[in-house]
Amino acid sequence: MSLLQEEREIILGNQYVEAFDFAEVEDFVKNANKELFISHHFKHSNKMLVQPRGGFPTYKKQFALYEFFVNANVDVLPLTIDSNTRLNDYKTAARMLRLSEENDVDMLNGYPLVNHGYRTTRNMITHFNKPVSLRHGTPDARLLIEQAIASGIFDIEGGPITYLLPYSKNFPLDKAFLYWKYVERVCANYSQLNEPINRESFGPLTATLVPPAITIVIQLLEMLLSLEEGVKSFSVSFAQQGSMMQDIVTGHVLKKLARHYAEEIGCGDASIHLVYHQWMGAFPMDPNYAEQLISIATVIASMVRADKIITKTNQEAAGIPTKEANSETVANTQYSLRILNGLPDITDEQEEEILTAEVMAIMEAVFNDPADTLWRKVFNCIKSGIIDVPFSPHIINHNQMITIRDDNKNIRIIKRGKVPIPDHCFDYEKAQCDLSKDTTSIVNDIIHDIGIMQ
Amino acid sequence: MKVVTGVIGNDIHVVANRLIDLSLKARGYEVFNLGVNTYLEEFFDAVIETDADILLISSLNGEAEGWGREVKALKAEYKGLDKLIMMIGGNLTVGAGKAEDIIPKYKSYGFDLVCHQIDLNTGLDMLADYIKEKSA
Repeated sequence: MSLLQEEREIILGNQYVEAFDFAEVEDFVKNANKELFISHHFKHSNKMLVQPRGGFPTYKKQFALYEFFVNANVDVLPLTIDSNTRLNDYKTAARMLRLSEENDVDMLNGYPLVNHGYRTTRNMITHFNKPVSLRHGTPDARLLIEQAIASGIFDIEGGPITYLLPYSKNFPLDKAFLYWKYVERVCANYSQLNEPINRESFGPLTATLVPPAITIVIQLLEMLLSLEEGVKSFSVSFAQQGSMMQDIVTGHVLKKLARHYAEEIGCGDASIHLVYHQWMGAFPMDPNYAEQLISIATVIASMVRADKIITKTNQEAAGIPTKEANSETVANTQYSLRILNGLPDITDEQEEEILTAEVMAIMEAVFNDPADTLWRKVFNCIKSGIIDVPFSPHIINHNQMITIRDDNKNIRIIKRGKVPIPDHCFDYEKAQCDLSKDTTSIVNDIIHDIGIMQ
Repeated sequence: MKVVTGVIGNDIHVVANRLIDLSLKARGYEVFNLGVNTYLEEFFDAVIETDADILLISSLNGEAEGWGREVKALKAEYKGLDKLIMMIGGNLTVGAGKAEDIIPKYKSYGFDLVCHQIDLNTGLDMLADYIKEKSA
């Protein structure tokens, strides 16, 4: 038996898991309907796929949500996992699920997949026969991913960096890398049986003034960590940043460099897709304004030529949206996409050049780290501040980089910390901003720049 | 002067914490930022370890209210904290509440300065005034 298989049997021997039938699950994936694979849709669809967010504790409510989504002409269904499961606390999740079922109140902020089990969940997934995307935020997702794939969920979001730095203060980063290595291998193995399992990175990070250079570097690194384990279909992603031009430039550079680095490590046969998140920062309270923000995001996603868009709702500022509001946003986004035609192909060459140089300089510093494997190089670079994510709560993050918006609302780096932004790029970034202000007014600007859409 | 700061309890809201850090440094303080998700013991341990003059606790989700009650008892277990300036700020209640009810409550918990939903710079001006007053 391989080491991986031994580890899988230990993971799936968890007391909260119903008996896991490896042979049956393999057989299910082998014969699963192609419609369930987002990688199949990416290959054959000529429109941007629309995917909402959403997860309810009980089977009944999740099923009802999917019915609404299907009626709204959804392309990809979401399965958002509750926060107890994300922290591997299946005991609390089980108790809260029972309370939710008995009292008809939602005691969980998502679907506790491990507690429901794959046999039950698979009934729902195969009933709707749409691709499902797993949304979570779990540093140790080994058990969750096994259950998801066994359920027919073939689009797996997350990664060791993007699911840790925005969400945790002190979960050990080196452990996260090893747990995600397991996830990549399991996805790679199942990918040989049918259409490939798609992996997706979480580009929004903290959704708070993250400069595109940092977003892109982390997207590229999580992609490489996945492809080197044998994953054949990968989605890089980022969220609306506040300036249409910066989004277009980010999309171009991300696509171009994803291809470049995939080929560099000999994984040029993998297919790479681009996912765009509608605004992930603080939303306006007024639902009408929220709707305007959502449709502008759809326009920008089209300009960026994204392969998939992930939607928000006009209730975003108020909390977890109802199924009605959530499906409305799907229908509205589909409508916007249908009427958005004849989009010009524009860019800003100087901005592209600067951003490309920044990303390549950071990537070079990562590759030059003396460690023997890529994950260790990346780990060392986060530890030493070569990669620095603004507003990450994690103790390993340096927090020395400072960013603000320029007059066109582009995010600019005004303090680079230990991130090796080349001098000419750093000078360019600073030249776009008014740096004569004192720190107090810069802090006020930052507060304003974070709440830009409110 | 030395300041220990951080966000109390299981609160992970990091944005204001970073801005407090930046603003304190800009005003010339030496800052020891414990970040989000910090427990009461960790604050006092850090004050002892760094010999800080000021402890500035913040809260966004309002759970400070639960922790506040334990401040006096815990502080009494440490020696040499009599001169420590204790300040708390942010959103200091879960749900809605009036400042005139909240401020006396936190003062009774042992805080010298209480800033409920007050602009960051106003709060830091209050701190500066308090320090001046105390040393006068």
